[in-house]
Amino acid sequence: MGITVRVRGMPAPVVVVQGLRKAYGSHVAVKGIDFEVQEGEIFGFLGTNGAGKTTTIEILEGYRSRTAGDVTVLGLDPAHATRAWRERIGLVLQESELDPLYTVHETVTMFACYYEHPRPVDDTIALVGLREQRDARIGQLSGGQKRRVDVALGLIGDPDLLFLDEPTTGFDPQARRDAWTMIEGLRNLGKTVFLTTHYMDEAQHLADRLTILRDGVIVAQGTAAQLSAQSGGTVIRFTLPGGVTPGQVEQETGTHPDVSGAEVTLHCEGSPQQVLYQLTGWAEREHHTLENLVVSPPTLDDVFLELTQESTA
Amino acid sequence: MNTVALSARQTGFALLGRRRDARAMIFTVVMPIVLLVLFNSIFGTRGSTTPVHGSRLSIHAYFMAGIIAYAIMLNGFSSLLIGFTTDREAGRLKRYRGTPMPPGVFLGAEIIANIVVIAAMVVTLLLIGRVAYNIAIPTSAFGPIVVYVVLGTATMCSLGIAATRLTTTPDAASAIGPFATVILGFISGTFVPVSQLPGWLEQIGRVFPLAHLAQGLQGSLVAGSGLDATNVAVLAAWAVAGLVVAVRTFRWEPLAAQG
Repeated sequence: MGITVRVRGMPAPVVVVQGLRKAYGSHVAVKGIDFEVQEGEIFGFLGTNGAGKTTTIEILEGYRSRTAGDVTVLGLDPAHATRAWRERIGLVLQESELDPLYTVHETVTMFACYYEHPRPVDDTIALVGLREQRDARIGQLSGGQKRRVDVALGLIGDPDLLFLDEPTTGFDPQARRDAWTMIEGLRNLGKTVFLTTHYMDEAQHLADRLTILRDGVIVAQGTAAQLSAQSGGTVIRFTLPGGVTPGQVEQETGTHPDVSGAEVTLHCEGSPQQVLYQLTGWAEREHHTLENLVVSPPTLDDVFLELTQESTA
Repeated sequence: MNTVALSARQTGFALLGRRRDARAMIFTVVMPIVLLVLFNSIFGTRGSTTPVHGSRLSIHAYFMAGIIAYAIMLNGFSSLLIGFTTDREAGRLKRYRGTPMPPGVFLGAEIIANIVVIAAMVVTLLLIGRVAYNIAIPTSAFGPIVVYVVLGTATMCSLGIAATRLTTTPDAASAIGPFATVILGFISGTFVPVSQLPGWLEQIGRVFPLAHLAQGLQGSLVAGSGLDATNVAVLAAWAVAGLVVAVRTFRWEPLAAQG
């Protein structure tokens, strides 16, 4: 193990990625990306399917080799992962089923044996909210409860860095809120968390900083507030009145509407005043009621869609 | 925890799983015992014998030795093939690989757990033979039986792990493992005495290790016969081939998920 020198007040980055590239044959999945993850932060890593997200995470976790670039995780190149390094890393993988024949307590206890200095087993089970299910077989748990066991196994070694790959997929809203509280608790324990998620509200709620990947390239980096501000403009949302087509809305407002179900979103580059005037004027003339009309800065969801859809638009 | 203590814990964990897996228990533990009783009841008229190595062995002893070989293939080859394919495709091997546990600990524990089951099966089948069918084991047979059981277990385990590279789904493994074992069972002298097989079927059977394990065990029950060089050599060759393939091709990450 090398000696890590830390300057007081200037924590060393936990993850440093420079010029990372990964090619599978002629297909280049990751096209030269740079980012850093600071100690103690929750780092949100976002991207659509096929953006190179999983490839990047698996390189950081030591599962996959890279084509080019420099990667340091906790001071070590993950391509040369050591047992001591694995002691400090916690993994919550995206697709990894547990053996249904063992109980929660048996499974967590077995994994605790793999580490030199594990967290207390019952304590960790309680931390993920499975105190009641301690002696239940994993095969009898719900999807959300199984995911909590995954998180418990990621935490049992008391890691400095925890990879959480889509930790709340398949959770009901209450379970998701509980998981958020738990992940926020990890920040208080001083853990660094590398989080990927499909849910923008989750990223907005949890992540200190975000990196958005598209087609193997980083298209945005910053806090959720910074990304919203960078994106600029304003968003107008309302429910499409009955008998009205999105085409009519475009004609009347001069703005292309994004339609999701009955919800219409208009992105305004600058001030929304003009668009809003035309929209409400038209609705008044035609006696349409614009239900759920909201004018707001873009949410992370809007920013993400804008950044990841540009290439296909 | 040091590696030895950890290996012991992991082996205990694996055995706990084996005990709870009712379906696997029925196929790999209950089934051979039922088959032993069935074959001996249907074909084993008291006093009848079958030719083995130019001598004659009681049909009861013949079936007992054959079923022991069959149980070793089921618990070595078939169980490991199904177990490792399932663990790999479920992402469990990948998860283990991400912990500080040395990979050899997990593999070793799974193999040792199967060896424990095999040892228990061998003892159980020998006891049933002794109690129910009055099969006396000649003292000269103890050494050869131990050699064949150990060598046969090593062969079947290494081939089971080698075969995991061929199966990308647990369903495929669950079909191939038991199917291969049953088919070879019929042409290797475990269900039907080889003297009753057409010559060409017997020749096909003798390419594979089960025939040599079964006939080695059957031969050693003939008083004073010892080890047969051909049987030992063929088993060892399969063991080495399986080991080489297993070491070179074993994968920790799901095969089906890779594009």
